[in-house]
Amino acid sequence: MTKLRAVLAGVLPLAASLLWSGAVIAAEVRVGYLGLTDDPRYLADVTYARIELNPGGDPVSAAKMGLADLEMVTASVDKTLTLDHRTGADAAGLIAAVKEMAAAGEQFIILDLPAPLTDEVAAATRDVGVTLINGTAPDDFLRSRCHPNLLHAAASDRMEADALVQYLRSRNWTKVLMLVGPETRDKEMAAAFRLSAERQRISLVDEREFTLLADPANRDANNTLLITGGVDYDLVYVADSQGDFARYLPYSTQLPRPVIGSVGLVASEWHWGLERYGAPQVSSRFAEFTPDRRMTGQDWSVWMAAKAIATAYAKARSDDPVKIDAYLRGNRLKLDGSKGVQMNFRPWDGQMRMPVVLTTHNSVIAIAPLEGFLHEINTLDTLGTDEPEHKCQ
Amino acid sequence: MTRSRFSQLLGVLSLATALTLAALSPVQAAGTGYIFVSTEKGNEVVVLDQDLNVIKRIETSRRPRDMHFNADKTLLYVACGDDDAIDVIDVATLEVIDTIPTGPSPEVFAFSPDEKIVYVSNEEDSRLEAIDMETRVSIQDVPTGAEPEGVLVMPDGKTAYVTSEVADMVHVVDTATGAVTKNILVGTRPRRFILTPDGSELWVSCELSSEIYIIDTATNEIKGDSLIFVPPGFREEDVTPVGMAITKDGSKVLLSLGRANHVAVIDAKSYEVLAYVLVGRRAWSVDLSRDETRAYVANGLSDDVTVIDMTSLKPIKSVAVGRVPHSVVIDD
Repeated sequence: MTKLRAVLAGVLPLAASLLWSGAVIAAEVRVGYLGLTDDPRYLADVTYARIELNPGGDPVSAAKMGLADLEMVTASVDKTLTLDHRTGADAAGLIAAVKEMAAAGEQFIILDLPAPLTDEVAAATRDVGVTLINGTAPDDFLRSRCHPNLLHAAASDRMEADALVQYLRSRNWTKVLMLVGPETRDKEMAAAFRLSAERQRISLVDEREFTLLADPANRDANNTLLITGGVDYDLVYVADSQGDFARYLPYSTQLPRPVIGSVGLVASEWHWGLERYGAPQVSSRFAEFTPDRRMTGQDWSVWMAAKAIATAYAKARSDDPVKIDAYLRGNRLKLDGSKGVQMNFRPWDGQMRMPVVLTTHNSVIAIAPLEGFLHEINTLDTLGTDEPEHKCQ
Repeated sequence: MTRSRFSQLLGVLSLATALTLAALSPVQAAGTGYIFVSTEKGNEVVVLDQDLNVIKRIETSRRPRDMHFNADKTLLYVACGDDDAIDVIDVATLEVIDTIPTGPSPEVFAFSPDEKIVYVSNEEDSRLEAIDMETRVSIQDVPTGAEPEGVLVMPDGKTAYVTSEVADMVHVVDTATGAVTKNILVGTRPRRFILTPDGSELWVSCELSSEIYIIDTATNEIKGDSLIFVPPGFREEDVTPVGMAITKDGSKVLLSLGRANHVAVIDAKSYEVLAYVLVGRRAWSVDLSRDETRAYVANGLSDDVTVIDMTSLKPIKSVAVGRVPHSVVIDD
């Protein structure tokens, strides 16, 4: 029944929009979507106990939802947007795919790739005349690469760290014990948190590296009591991209202190528990596209990338690709992401400005920028690398 | 579900009673003077008297939002989003006496001029639904862009307008056929409408691009540039306009500025701002008393209603009402 409804809801507006466009035949515009074959980030990782370490999944359906949400708007300018979903197994395959898509006339491609591949693909396709939108790679180094053909709809690590740190500052929780895992992603998240802490004068009382190796020689690094002992702190920040250490940390610390970062209070682009700004309607539309899981931050970013592209085609008031691209990148773009504010891309690093939600497993505790954190241009720029500190590398 | 079914059954009986009573008692011209506030998370309509005392909390179906009286103000209709229903409140007894089932998540609605048809935006399944008030049957189901919200029916009943918050457009609906005859692209997240008393201008608030668009109802084209109202000390992006009210002579518009926590009082002809009035947090719905000496503003995030004195254009008082006030209407 629900499925039938979803199908009907999809078909009827389409039929109606065809009617409105009258005799004019809508031009078909293909929007690219490029993912990694068997992307390890979306493996369910279900252990024998059926515990999901990673609640997310392939966000491609969020891109379809973004185009469907704006179908009537693009129809009003006689354009029909469809998603060209391709995958590649390695950098060479992905780069070839971008070139094929460009040759087929696609102007925008949403990238759903880990950061190193995003970087390689962007570097190799600078001159093919396509704007790439990074949908799922949070790594800060990508923002300082300054690829002119790359925008970012995923929040950066630094934006998420700034959101957490604003919260710590607003509560006056200023002493943090930092625990960092062995993965590259763990170290990147920790580096971003270090910069954010410095910005808000939050002190890191110690930084310790954890390990999942259980042998007794490693007990200072694998035992939750020992690794959190011997020092006083207001809370523990843990950077654990795999999540297998972090999930055993709350309530297992030497001192009775909260845990934030990869577990406990977590920063993200989106959480299904957001109740304001029309967010429940977005989450329920997502459920129609993807009934088996809830909408994640990656889904939100991919959805927004698709919405940004569709909005540019609809509102640029031009069929000139240069003008459509300029609209997408400019300050006339005022995107609604159901977080209560208008959003667009920062001119200096191509990062989408956005509020960041601070969440527990089932609720939104706060939305950054928090009240009182001000900025001379746009309060959203209190999250992430700001223009004066931005450097191309 | 069981509850709404039950209240539907109950409703049929009590409506009959209410109709009989209404036929016996003469219509009160002056009204009770009561101020009704729907609270989305309180699941109630809070009733205040003219001295702003809470005199009753009417339990409704879940998530009550938009409210409208019938023409003689004997009945108050309340769209209840989480129970897919419009509750009917008897203004004399302050009881829910009936429930009209609707499509999923009704948010805003408007009546045809003869009150025989109610047009409801169903936020969850992107429809403008027309329901026959007598048979309670859905007679038209117009597909809209996602998250339809504001609904307005023209005084001649021939045209309905509905906004889609996600599609950034106003759909023009021919009520005779239920067909969309035109889509008007406006700003980001269009929310509500007001119509000038002469019927010539339709104002649309666009929450996330901070703009007001004015549509010429003769041509259904946008008239002039969009208007932006920014109180001193705020930035344009802080302004998220939603609710509007217009005086009967069409001279002044009140516009709630959402996150900017002010109501702008605007000269409706010159579009000059006469005053920015400080109200509560996330000001949304706004309504004027019949004599237009006072305006009432629902503040969704501070859970109160602010009363504005329309002579001095100053806030007089804010009254706590309940969780997430959505709409205010006055029976005077």
